[in-house]
Amino acid sequence: MTTAIRIDDLNFAHPGGSVPALERVSLTISTGESVALLGPSGAGKTTLLALLDGRLHGWRGRVSVLGAPLDPDQPPPRASRPDTGFVFQEFALVERSTVLRNVLNGRLGRMAPLRALLGSPRPHDLDIARTALTDCGIADLAERRVDSLSGGQRQRVAIARCLAQEPRLILADEPVSNLDPTRAGEVLAMLTGAAQARGATALFSSHQPDLARRFAQRIIGMRNGRIVFDVPTSELQDEATAALYREAEPMPGSGLRAVS
Amino acid sequence: MGHRRFGGFATSTLIAGAILWSFATTDVELSRLVSAGPRIADFLGRMFPPDPTVMAEIRKGSAETLRIAILGSLGAVILSIPLAILASETMVSRMVFGPVRALLAFIRAVPLILVAMLMVGAVGLGPLPGIIAVAFHATGMLAKFYAEAIDGVSRAPIAALESAGAGPLVRLRHAIWPQMAPVIARDTIFRFELNLRESLILGIVGAGGIGFYIQTYVRSFQYDKAASVTIAVVVMVMAIEAINVALRRRFT
Repeated sequence: MTTAIRIDDLNFAHPGGSVPALERVSLTISTGESVALLGPSGAGKTTLLALLDGRLHGWRGRVSVLGAPLDPDQPPPRASRPDTGFVFQEFALVERSTVLRNVLNGRLGRMAPLRALLGSPRPHDLDIARTALTDCGIADLAERRVDSLSGGQRQRVAIARCLAQEPRLILADEPVSNLDPTRAGEVLAMLTGAAQARGATALFSSHQPDLARRFAQRIIGMRNGRIVFDVPTSELQDEATAALYREAEPMPGSGLRAVS
Repeated sequence: MGHRRFGGFATSTLIAGAILWSFATTDVELSRLVSAGPRIADFLGRMFPPDPTVMAEIRKGSAETLRIAILGSLGAVILSIPLAILASETMVSRMVFGPVRALLAFIRAVPLILVAMLMVGAVGLGPLPGIIAVAFHATGMLAKFYAEAIDGVSRAPIAALESAGAGPLVRLRHAIWPQMAPVIARDTIFRFELNLRESLILGIVGAGGIGFYIQTYVRSFQYDKAASVTIAVVVMVMAIEAINVALRRRFT
């Protein structure tokens, strides 16, 4: 079984931050796994995902993604970036553009530079974008402008753009936190299903234990920048998830309190 | 709560004071209003019927006003692009955008007609001083609007495209430009409308355009001809507004 993500003793503090955002994080995720990062706000889930996407620098430790080591001081080579797809919590869509345009934006990294600049997709790119739209259940919205869509529809566009990259690893930051429970289940089922159908590894964060249980094979619990547990979903104890969200004791001297 | 009530009282007192001061210190001879009626009637009487023989002058003046507005707007767009970057909070430091914004506020504060008079003195009569005046005056507003368009660009889609492997130029084309272009188009059309309206009167100070004929005919007591030109100006303004409303609908 090949390895999609390997992290050894990762430490990171945001510039100017006194408290470490990630502390002694080590984990390995195999290709094709579907893993949830579970934990309260401020646990370090977003930081870990952004770091794996090559957007954070100045960390210490060893990290390799899809077999290539990440450089702690530089973004990954541009050619490799489409291999890692990212679903942003706030969608990060171009609001004034159409749904299809936004999904085709996911193809830009796969096109020759001049073609990408001119924005003239090949029939192949259009096929992949249309398939992504269909898989996300929004084929009928292709020509709509994003600023006319609901939150749930935007979330689907964001996922379709990620799928259009043909990623081998999908990182999703709270992909359903903006949706009501029914929609949240539908969208997570769609995301993990699409990842599985493509043989892609999926790592998504959530602060809702029930959603993590339903859609991940494995759950990693985080709190205060550390991994608290890392277990197959079937072995997850209710007590362990409850402990993640328990009010923290005030840390001596720091004057900080964990947000419940 | 108490503060707000006091604030409301202070504001009312200030407004009442300003009105009373204006009345008390202006030479308002109400008796003059009585004799004004017949005089206005006489004036209007001499304007009617408007003299339709000035169509050639109207055409010539309107065309020149249009040229002044187009070339003045073009000049303002060209000046505004670099100034907008220098006035943007997200592109340069406060040390730069602070003074540049102050300069733009100063430019906006100088009335167009004053700039035009200075330019007539500097480069002589004709459309050239009008074009320069419009370009200068409009830059004060347009550069500010463009800077706001730059600052209004959401960063998130740019980061998303970078994450997807798009280079800097591709990000500019597909994440930044689609956000800015409609705003810039709308602002430019809006400023062009203002430029056209304002340049209608530039001829009064000798800076070219249709205003020259209004001034000439009024000075020579040819009120019927002045009336025709005035009607032409009103029609033009209404036409500009209608076109602008239609255009702006496309860019929201």
